[in-house]
Amino acid sequence: MKQFTGTREAFAAAIMDLAKDDANVMLVSPDSLKAMRATDFADTYPGNYIEVGIAEQCAVDVAAGMAASGTVPFVATYAGFLTMRACEQMRTFVAYPNLNVKFVGINAGLVGGEREGVTHQFYEDLAVLSAIPNFTIFTPADGAQTYRAVKAAYEIDGPVYIRAGSGREPDVYGKEAPFSPEGVTVLKDYGSEVVLFAGGFILNRVLAAAEQLRASSVNVTVADVNILYGKNNGRIIDLIKGARQVFTIEDHNINGGLGSYICHLACEHAPVHVTRIGLSTFGESGPADALADYYGFSAEAICSKVRNAL
Amino acid sequence: METTTLQQVADQLRLEAVRMVYEGKDGHPGPALSIADIIATLYFDEMRIDPRNPDRADRDRLILSKGHACPILYAALSQKGYFGEPVRDFGLRALGSRFQGHPVMGKTVGVDFTSGSLGNGIAIGAGMAIAGKHLKKDYNVFVIVGDGEAQEGIIWEGVNAAAARKLDNLIVFVDRNNWQSGGAVDATIGANNMKERFEAFCWHTQEIDGHSIDGIKAAIRAAKDAKGRPSAIICNTVKGKGLDFMEDDNSWHKGVPNDEQYAIAVKTLGGNA
Repeated sequence: MKQFTGTREAFAAAIMDLAKDDANVMLVSPDSLKAMRATDFADTYPGNYIEVGIAEQCAVDVAAGMAASGTVPFVATYAGFLTMRACEQMRTFVAYPNLNVKFVGINAGLVGGEREGVTHQFYEDLAVLSAIPNFTIFTPADGAQTYRAVKAAYEIDGPVYIRAGSGREPDVYGKEAPFSPEGVTVLKDYGSEVVLFAGGFILNRVLAAAEQLRASSVNVTVADVNILYGKNNGRIIDLIKGARQVFTIEDHNINGGLGSYICHLACEHAPVHVTRIGLSTFGESGPADALADYYGFSAEAICSKVRNAL
Repeated sequence: METTTLQQVADQLRLEAVRMVYEGKDGHPGPALSIADIIATLYFDEMRIDPRNPDRADRDRLILSKGHACPILYAALSQKGYFGEPVRDFGLRALGSRFQGHPVMGKTVGVDFTSGSLGNGIAIGAGMAIAGKHLKKDYNVFVIVGDGEAQEGIIWEGVNAAAARKLDNLIVFVDRNNWQSGGAVDATIGANNMKERFEAFCWHTQEIDGHSIDGIKAAIRAAKDAKGRPSAIICNTVKGKGLDFMEDDNSWHKGVPNDEQYAIAVKTLGGNA
């Protein structure tokens, strides 16, 4: 296993490791080689690196044609340039024919886009893809989990979208990060009556909130959701069934992402009160931590919302 | 196949396309007829394909980027034997039919890629051509695009990438019939200068009469001989070609022949009604 530090480096390490064993693993780049920290891949496997220029729709179409002809393409670039600019190509030419194309969208969320501002902050990607059949959606929290997500995506025969950060997100996991095929890992189990579902780049903040709540005798469970809208969701449903109150915390618009997913499972399987914490406005430029605090993802703000709802 | 025979095949495909629109009471006959000679030459003379083994990895591939012209593709696949005996009842656009309103891979045997949303065929074809080179398979990828369709920006993203990657196993036909859904191409958005545009992107570029079987054959030979560059064959065509009442009349972009018009088509195109 190639060593790495950071989310984008984790992607690069994973695709290097995959290409070592499968000569047909390809990287399609809309001028994203540097952004994906994948120059080593291009140097080591020049025939597997397909540059198409700054043209995301083209990158997705090219990957679709490649997948239809027997290779395993990964398209990796900024999350919104895939899911919004090339949304139709992802839907009609990858998802509809159910082709084996993998997408890695970086800079997702407020934290991922941070100083770049709204043009490079993407908090709608999950909502877009959740309405498209055949996509498997992974939401790793940090570099170590991103590495696992890329390897897991390769094992699936069909379209996969990995929602990745920029590397600004703090590491939650060590090298042996879990990547649950059931889509959920319980990280804190202080009490099952209140469950905080989280995932992605603010997971560390939710873990901190759980500790603060515990200090004031509010005992909660924190569950990291790493697959959205997956078929193998029994474990998530069990957690909802055991809860008196559920909270979702996500660096995404409040509609269409984790909160919507958990609400949908709760409504259909185990009706319970769900409070969604997420974004309902556009963001702005700023340092990642300051932005996350300002937009309601400080551990204190999360604690306060939980306490007010209980 | 002899040129005269291919001409007969092309007219037979035209009639089949008109028949499926007439019977299905929906579809785009005009854009289908303008590419009948290209489709006939490809499927009955040029392409390395095997209808009994439609998924073989080293087959030549065709993407009908202007997917609304699919009746002519369905007719070719039917006559070529992809569905066993030629199809009697296509049920074009009917619920449950394998002949969808636009081509869908997986639903229709022999359709190499899904199309219908305009502009995407060249980039997808480039992907197929890239995979062919990577996997060391010597197939060619053919793409048919419309001149109106070339207004889509994604067309030129694909053209750019294909040239940069030197995809000489990619051959694009531009059906330059000078019409698009809403009217004439030049009246809609300016010069229909396809040859100059492809040349500017450093493609091997030819301009031919898109209804000359010999011209199409020769252009494909020249395209295959052009190494290190993708090829564009600009085909000057007539929308609705083959039926006087349909030729160059854009109201047939989408339309259904009445009984009398269908009878004329049968008579003109040599069919047995």
